[in-house]
Amino acid sequence: MTLQECYAALEGNYDDVIGRLRSERLVQKFVLKFIDDGSFKLLEDSLRTQNIQEAFRAAHTIKGMCQNLSFTRLQNSSTALTEELRGGNPPSDPSLFEKVAEDYQMTVAAIEAFKASLEG
Amino acid sequence: MARERILIVDDSEMNRSILTDMLDSEFDITEAENGVQAVSILQKESTKFSLVLLDIVMPEMDGFDVLRVMNRFHWIEDVPVIMVSAETASTQIERAYELGATDFIMRPFDASIVHRRVVNTILLYAKQKKLLGIVEQQIYEKEQNSSFMVDILSHIVEFRNGESGLHIRHVRTLTDFLLRKLCEATDRYQLSETDISVISMASALHDIGKMGIDEKILNKPGRLTDEEFAVMKTHTTIGAKMLEDLPVHQSNPLVIRAYEICRWHHERYDGRGYPDGIKGDEIPISAQIVALADVYDALTSERVYKKAIPHEEAVKMILEGKCGCFNPLMLQCLKENADSIREALKLDLTDHSPRHQIRNFADAVIHSKGGGASERTLRLLDYERMKHNFYAAMSEEIQFEYTTETDILMLSPWGANRLGLPENIINPKSNMALSALLGEGWWQRIAADLQKTSPEKPETGREEQLLLGGEYRWHKIILRAIWSEETPATLTGVIGKAVDVHEAHTRFDELKEKSIRDPLTKLLNRAGVREQIEKKIQNYPTHKYALACFDIDFFKLANDEHGHLFGDKVLSYIAQRLDHSIRTSDLCARIGGDEFLILFEYDTDIGPIIARIFRALCGEIDGFTVNVSMGVYEMHEEGETYEELFHRADQALYFSKRSGRAQYHLYDDSMKDILTDSEEEQANTDHHREENS
Repeated sequence: MTLQECYAALEGNYDDVIGRLRSERLVQKFVLKFIDDGSFKLLEDSLRTQNIQEAFRAAHTIKGMCQNLSFTRLQNSSTALTEELRGGNPPSDPSLFEKVAEDYQMTVAAIEAFKASLEG
Repeated sequence: MARERILIVDDSEMNRSILTDMLDSEFDITEAENGVQAVSILQKESTKFSLVLLDIVMPEMDGFDVLRVMNRFHWIEDVPVIMVSAETASTQIERAYELGATDFIMRPFDASIVHRRVVNTILLYAKQKKLLGIVEQQIYEKEQNSSFMVDILSHIVEFRNGESGLHIRHVRTLTDFLLRKLCEATDRYQLSETDISVISMASALHDIGKMGIDEKILNKPGRLTDEEFAVMKTHTTIGAKMLEDLPVHQSNPLVIRAYEICRWHHERYDGRGYPDGIKGDEIPISAQIVALADVYDALTSERVYKKAIPHEEAVKMILEGKCGCFNPLMLQCLKENADSIREALKLDLTDHSPRHQIRNFADAVIHSKGGGASERTLRLLDYERMKHNFYAAMSEEIQFEYTTETDILMLSPWGANRLGLPENIINPKSNMALSALLGEGWWQRIAADLQKTSPEKPETGREEQLLLGGEYRWHKIILRAIWSEETPATLTGVIGKAVDVHEAHTRFDELKEKSIRDPLTKLLNRAGVREQIEKKIQNYPTHKYALACFDIDFFKLANDEHGHLFGDKVLSYIAQRLDHSIRTSDLCARIGGDEFLILFEYDTDIGPIIARIFRALCGEIDGFTVNVSMGVYEMHEEGETYEELFHRADQALYFSKRSGRAQYHLYDDSMKDILTDSEEEQANTDHHREENS
């Protein structure tokens, strides 16, 4: 699996990220780092404990990473959740988080597959 | 050249490492995970950073809070901040700009945009800092120069007044302190920071008028008579006149303030002071403050006629109006800050003018020459150099730099023009034109000065006469040695400047001459001759010396019968005879009313020399027979102090007087227990004091 194919699988924009970061080595490095980032777990836990401020920051961080890496699909859903949480109130629509969770799992799965192909 | 350092503040590790990857080939990077960490890093070393890249949404303390803290501590003035965020709402961006952010970079990052903005911002700030440095340096050095001259002048006055070297300094510190407190307490006087520093500096000159007061009155231990006090009072108007008569600088704020202070520092708030009897705020605030500072320090210092009074008591006396009448606002300040005044004076005893490391632009240019500078950097340097030359020309100073590696002396364009020399002089030490300008041996003199400096203390200076347009003019040459970075450090060059101080120097010479001469006879005075005798003995300790003291017999009678003018005539007659009779290697002085002193340097026998002088001094003037009584002491061994010499000559003089006057005697050991006039007086006073107490 190439990096380009990985981007197709997670519905990101490969041309965009290469245009900005200018090096495939760098993009690959940060894509691999994404799976180790704890922001999604923090988002999940914070929502469970109703710590909305913390949840907002976690969603915001996910959104920022997606922007930098041009993970378009996850970026869209995390942006929607971030805006929902900005006011400090629990999300009125539970499907917003469910959508983020689903996109996140899909993104991580694509990166894991890419990582496995590198090692194998 | 050291690399610029950037602080990256972002809670997302990934975001930080993306930015780091983009920038760390050119810059040193420090990372902070949140606002609190960022603030604690800046607190420790905000000056080390050339830029902060700051995220907005962070745990603990967000980006806006960091900006607020940076404002509160004024870090934002020196360290530019670029906001980095995914926030796109215009209100957020607006807020960041309002809090002082320089620029805004949106996520997602584009490597080339991040790089360009970072570099632009750093260059912009670096330029501003350099300009600031140049201006600061100019101002600092100007102040240093005037402060230096004021110190010399005021020291001369103290020297002549026989005051401790601390009085002027105390008055200056107190003036500065009280002015600041007064400005905090009221806005009645509208003084800027510059006003305060000028007034404080001018305060050092408050007593220059005493140069014009007869030493007999100035240093009289007892109470002054009414006539004497009237003379003493004129030191205010004499000082003011000295300043008024200055041929130049009449509009200089320092001169204006010094005039106010000299003339009016003995006025009283109730109008009962002198010389003009003005009252209230008709008296300039500068003079009011100095008057209070002067009184406080006079009270708390020991003088010939009194002991030092403790701080608390002095403040109490002033507040109770026992020492004059002052502005109630000022008294309020004194009362409220009585404790900190003592602290301020104590602090002052350490160092008055900390020698800051001079932030020299030229130095930076020299150091940044190495390495492959980009075209842009070189263009910038050219630009900076153009500005530097402009400032150098405006300052009317001859600036120069020299490196041993190239052996080229570079002069600033203005300096080269002033000296009539080319801007670049190769092999300066054997340059004929420079030798003509500075005199033979200049290279050795300067090299010796530079060798005495060290990497920690690279500054030095000397005064030299430069031959400019056929005229010798005094210049103050200030040098900063350039030491290499390796150990042991070697001298690799020097930068410096020469400032024309001819006028000030000449005036200093005149005043110095005035301060060591007796105004009537033009002979040296007591302090002057002592200094010269000590110098002579120290320089040529193996020569043979004899000290003679004499006074005029029945001089008081001449004064009483024929008046003071006649007395002055007798003194002038003696001075003239003395001047004609002694040889150039001898020194003579009038050391008191009718007391004179001669130091002889001789080879074999002092006897005939003394006999000749003694004969020359006796004579007749307008029917009054002039005779003198004299005592002579031959110096026997090295290491005898001036006091010892003088004391023995004085004992021999006393012996002559006791033996019927109009004679001279050489000191011998049989005289060693004789009490001289002054000692007898002292014994009497002590006796009286014991009786009275």
